[in-house]
Amino acid sequence: MSIHFEKVNYVYQPNTPFEHQALKNVTVSIPEGSYTAIIGHTGSGKSTLLQHLNGLLKPSSGRVTVAEKVITASTKNKELGDLRKHVGIVFQFPEAQLFEETVLKDIAFAPKNFGKTQAEAEEIAVEMANLVGLPDELLSHSPFELSGGQMRRVAIAGILAMKPEVLVLDEPTAGLDPKGRIEIMQMFEELHLQHQLTIILVTHQMDDVANYADHTIVLEKGEVIAAAAPKDIFKDPRWLVKHHLALPKATNFAYELQKTGKFSFEKMPLTEKELAAALAASLKKGGNQTE
Amino acid sequence: MEEPMIEISDLSFQYPQQESEALSHLNLAVAAGEWLAVIGHNGSGKSTLAKLIDGLLIPKTGTIKIAGVQLTSSTLWNIRKNIGMVFQNPDNQFVGANVEEDVAFGLENQGVPRETMIKRVEAALTDVGMWDFAQHEPARLSGGQKQRVALAGVIALQPKIIIMDEATSMLDPEGRKEIIQLIQNLNKKNGFTVISITHDIEEASLAQRVVVIDDGLLVQDDKPAKVFQRGAALIESGLDIPFSEKLKNEIRNQGIDVPQEYLTEKGMVDWLCQFISKK
Repeated sequence: MSIHFEKVNYVYQPNTPFEHQALKNVTVSIPEGSYTAIIGHTGSGKSTLLQHLNGLLKPSSGRVTVAEKVITASTKNKELGDLRKHVGIVFQFPEAQLFEETVLKDIAFAPKNFGKTQAEAEEIAVEMANLVGLPDELLSHSPFELSGGQMRRVAIAGILAMKPEVLVLDEPTAGLDPKGRIEIMQMFEELHLQHQLTIILVTHQMDDVANYADHTIVLEKGEVIAAAAPKDIFKDPRWLVKHHLALPKATNFAYELQKTGKFSFEKMPLTEKELAAALAASLKKGGNQTE
Repeated sequence: MEEPMIEISDLSFQYPQQESEALSHLNLAVAAGEWLAVIGHNGSGKSTLAKLIDGLLIPKTGTIKIAGVQLTSSTLWNIRKNIGMVFQNPDNQFVGANVEEDVAFGLENQGVPRETMIKRVEAALTDVGMWDFAQHEPARLSGGQKQRVALAGVIALQPKIIIMDEATSMLDPEGRKEIIQLIQNLNKKNGFTVISITHDIEEASLAQRVVVIDDGLLVQDDKPAKVFQRGAALIESGLDIPFSEKLKNEIRNQGIDVPQEYLTEKGMVDWLCQFISKK
């Protein structure tokens, strides 16, 4: 299920002194089955773009196509219900949205709301709790007794319970400790690889882009300034600096090494593993050519 | 030896209806002008420690002395004047309608005369580089700018200690860099004692000293270089290691001898250059 934006403009509070155009003539595609990262400085329009993916916002002009469904300024809200089953959005700090008495009820809420029976919804909830790695004994607990990382898993399971084909993640690891961060990111990768979910990740962490994404969209002041594979995005450090974007740590380190004149990289490494492999090759050889 | 700014002995705390202690028999001394980073996984007891130091929680056992004065219900209000705290979420800390008013709020509360207040607000906003934004409304600021204003509100009260409780974790990389540089300045130039509770290992590596807390216990208290040498053990207890250490491990996995001691990124570049020149 691919997603297309065609000449999308979005204006907040039009015809008021606070009018602000958050998306400008955005034309971009998110390929089906991809792991797409959306990056850009704070205020670049990432969140606005994201809210168009399941019709929380409708374009002021232009059109968004998701799963054959076309959304324009004149689309009625009640036509969007179906779309929301296909696209699940995990907002920042999703644990703030938990509200039920037990973990099981919280996860079962969405499927019940979309017409499943109590028994069916609970069956789905148990399945999803397993999928996100929540132990069964927690199902009867209040979600508010859990740790931060576990609460976030409950919230994510609640989104997955709608069985979306596209999962949109807005900085899903903010505030988690390093171990929790790695676990959650690996969980998303598994969902992507084993369950063929299209993943759309909004992030400031360039290392996550390097480690997980296969496609990248770069936004600046409401415009798409690049859409390409991570390795192409991180090819030009000067361009990134100019647009207030960082490099993955390994790539940054490789550029620092090149400045010494003692190392050169034919292909810039994106991850620690790639960097270490390239360095080891040239350290063993002893030349100043690194591959 | 000079009297420590913060002296904690045998400190324990247990939340009601919890089976185990959130902090157990912790001993810690922080010198005046020191920058201490506290690291530990979610739920390890880091924030509990910060709340105990500020007297927001009452210990089960043990004592806390701030600048030589023991924290009790009668010294609490005076002691709090020595401590400024900045929290995680920049949006939860604004009370003023604009930046200037927000910074003045704490001063108004303490009944500081208007003339002094105006000077201190200006000085504090200048220190954090936000004086040009004095009339701006908070909603229009970036996350990093909001946290700088929160810091200005703290500095204006002229505390001796600044506690940052994951104050950079909700910021984008630029905002994070801004705040870390600012902490560095406040610590070095203005001489504030700084405690930064953080998950950001690069931030912790800049502190003079790092304390590791794991399930309520203080498990290590040392210079960053020493702490990061524990690599694998740190990762096991849910923490991270700096990039340079990760890279060193990966290079070792490729069958190359690497130095034992902790190297900063600069140190790593130097070592690699030497290694290749010797060939």
